[in-house]
Amino acid sequence: MTNSDFWRNSKVAVIGGGSWGTVLANLLSENCLEVRLWLRDSELARAINATKTNERYLPGYRLSHKISAYSEISRVLDGDVNAVVLALPSSACRHEARNMAALLGGHEFIFHATKGVEADTLKRMSEVLSEELPCRRIGVISGPNLAQEIARGEPAATVVASGFDEVLDAGQALFGSALFRIYRSCDMIGVEWAGTLKNILAIASGALDAMKFGWNSRAMLITRGLAEIVRFGVAMGAKEGTFLGLAGLGDMLATCGSPLSRNYRVGMRMAKGDRLSDIIKDLGGTAEGIMTTRTVWRYSKARGISMPITESVFQLLEENVSVKEAIQILMTRPSGSE
Amino acid sequence: MPPGGSHPVIRFERLPVTDGPLLRFEKNRNAMLSDVVERTVHDFIGGSNIDLLIGEALYSERFRMKRVKPGFFMRNRRKLDEQLWGYVQGLIRNTGEIDRKALLDRILWHYAGEVGGHFNPRIYRFACSAVPWGFSWLLNAASVRRFLPWGMTQSLQSRLNIVGEVPLLQKLAGHGTILLVPTHQSNIDSVLIGYVIYLMSLPPFAYGAGLNLFSNPALSFFMSNLGAYTVDRQKTNALYKQFLKNYSTKILMDGIHSVFFPGGGRSRSGAIESRIKLGLLGTGIEAQTENLIKDKEKARVFIVPMVTSYHFVLEASSLIEDHLAEAGKHRYIITDDESWQPRKVLSFFWKLFSSQSSITVRIGKPLDVFGNFVDEEGRSQGPNGTVVDPVHWLTTCGELRKESQRDQEYTRILAAKLVQRFYRENTVLSSHLVAFSFFEALRKKYPDLDLYRFLRLSLEQRSLPYAEFLKSAGQYYDQVSVLVDRGELYLSEDLRRLAKLSTDTWVQDGIRQLGCLHEARVIRVADGTLWTEDMNLLYYYRNRLSGYGLSFHAGRGWTRKGPGQNDELGFLA
Repeated sequence: MTNSDFWRNSKVAVIGGGSWGTVLANLLSENCLEVRLWLRDSELARAINATKTNERYLPGYRLSHKISAYSEISRVLDGDVNAVVLALPSSACRHEARNMAALLGGHEFIFHATKGVEADTLKRMSEVLSEELPCRRIGVISGPNLAQEIARGEPAATVVASGFDEVLDAGQALFGSALFRIYRSCDMIGVEWAGTLKNILAIASGALDAMKFGWNSRAMLITRGLAEIVRFGVAMGAKEGTFLGLAGLGDMLATCGSPLSRNYRVGMRMAKGDRLSDIIKDLGGTAEGIMTTRTVWRYSKARGISMPITESVFQLLEENVSVKEAIQILMTRPSGSE
Repeated sequence: MPPGGSHPVIRFERLPVTDGPLLRFEKNRNAMLSDVVERTVHDFIGGSNIDLLIGEALYSERFRMKRVKPGFFMRNRRKLDEQLWGYVQGLIRNTGEIDRKALLDRILWHYAGEVGGHFNPRIYRFACSAVPWGFSWLLNAASVRRFLPWGMTQSLQSRLNIVGEVPLLQKLAGHGTILLVPTHQSNIDSVLIGYVIYLMSLPPFAYGAGLNLFSNPALSFFMSNLGAYTVDRQKTNALYKQFLKNYSTKILMDGIHSVFFPGGGRSRSGAIESRIKLGLLGTGIEAQTENLIKDKEKARVFIVPMVTSYHFVLEASSLIEDHLAEAGKHRYIITDDESWQPRKVLSFFWKLFSSQSSITVRIGKPLDVFGNFVDEEGRSQGPNGTVVDPVHWLTTCGELRKESQRDQEYTRILAAKLVQRFYRENTVLSSHLVAFSFFEALRKKYPDLDLYRFLRLSLEQRSLPYAEFLKSAGQYYDQVSVLVDRGELYLSEDLRRLAKLSTDTWVQDGIRQLGCLHEARVIRVADGTLWTEDMNLLYYYRNRLSGYGLSFHAGRGWTRKGPGQNDELGFLA
């Protein structure tokens, strides 16, 4: 059986019914037999099945008839799914994976779409999943993919990364469509870290935009920010080139200028003087960048990796400095070579 | 064999040694080799460009023959090599007329003659009785020399400690095929491992042994009749490597337990292996997959790490020199190594028995070919109490089949796990900790020197007041104890026992034991001062505790380095 025939006849589970999980389920439904979407909220699951829309996260976005939503994990993973896609916040991944472990047979391919790492351990999500699930074939999907834009049917591209070629084949067969191009990468460490680290810069970018600065300052932020996250990523074992691709620079360009990004909104409101606790309440989802900034700042300090922009974002989130002060600190650092 | 006797102390049950399939090896040898040749031909025919492949093999073999001079006992083999490659060179001048398959066959049968071992049950039985006798004799003689009052058995018990998962290994040997993967420090390992396997009541193992071991005629005779197959790391051509892999796969498929050193050669730096050769290690998953496809009984292969801890390593000086030479890579095989002369080997065991020195061999937790732990029934343990069915992990597009990239990736993950296990199964001896503490205490005095400048410190500079050293050693003992509590390594029982008395007691023991075989003592103490006569050797023994984040610079806020990595000043971190 060829790869695409196999996946066309397969059932796939999506864990997490937020906006990205919902869009992924719809993308998957074009290429497989059945998609089972798991959400914690049984009311929402019932509503999705009844209306074929996810009104809470993507109002009006029509879902395929191949998608069924469930709130019981055992009904989603009853032994015959061939791939599981996790679209969860990083803080929930380990817990949910632990709940799933006994329901998986080991033949399943696992994908995750989380752009964050575990707070205390700094473990990437693929590491967390391989520690919790009896499956080894794990991949990540990451790129400039604002869920609302893809839901509107705008063209986009992403990267699927894994050490296993067959997971990459599966990723291309399952997620690809005429409007959604899938590129493959064997640098899973790079893709996971690129997706994680760009959230720090998205917060910085939101803050900068709130100051109504022009393109020069944004270009400075993106370029110097990229240098900084590459430095960190390489120290974590990533390949430098990955950061110049869709999962790195691509995702940065999308999130650093889009009010659709929660991280960007956090930065923007911090600059306007709102308190972080209030912003988090209003967000309607997780802004991974907040936790990532703290974790990465702590680690980079301990290991002596120079990350001045991350340091400024950290101080901003801690409400120790205002945006103006943060910019002043950054701009008056001793000059060096690029 | 009754428990105890003239054997070292063993805390596991001695079982009757079962006959393994290796005992029937000689009968099936030709059929087996022919199968390996056929597989290898199949791997190449139709796929890659055969002319290019043979051309490359010819080039690398001629280059090797030019570079490496054969030892006295290897001259016949060299003649055969020259004949074959001369013939190949003559033939490939007219490429249009060659029967490529026949040529490939001839080259591979040549390798078959070199790689393929023999197994002679009579020699095996002889060795089984001679080795313990030899050990006893040496011990007895050595003991008499030292006028030890407490008798032979008692003192032998203190020499060789076999600890760890021995009962589990014994059980698993009945559920599948064992692939024992030891760390490699010394050529002595080869003899020691054979003896340890015998002591664990396991059937004989096939053995992947470096070609240089066969340069000793007596040892070569025993090894090549006890299932050893030759691994020549100087041969780098694709044909040879593939043949070797297929040979290993085939014997594992036939249920013959095997041993090979996954790090390739001996550790040059003295550190535990941090790089694993994936080629031979990958034969485990290949053999298991083929057996599962054929629905064979006992299809599974279990990877069992083994870590040996010595107070002294015979060839430490040349190993560390090789490590330190930046250009050391081309000297990957030390051919003029001091260790393998019979006199030296005898002297090693003599000193082992006549001193109060001991060797600890730890059998690590067995793994499956994916790096999961296995239980005594041979079931793979997944996370959260799950049981992994290997068939599921080897199924692609709904079909149980071989997939080379997938299996390479599984092997890469296994290798990473194996390195982790090697570090965790390491047993720290008093001498290791003394060497580490002293070296690091010296570094505190010269924190900015890089490795090469540091190793050239003058005799005066490389000394410390004993009291100062003692303080530092006590602190390192505490740090190591924290790691031990976290299950990240083990302390030897001797060290634990002596440390209960006082820091001074274990430190004195460590100083006495540390590299006690070398001409120059690694550490000397006189008049309240401690110094080293050989910085390179001190570095070698110190490296045994590298990779644990214990080194002086780990606390300096530098980027954390993993096993096998150097810090900013070039020291193994």
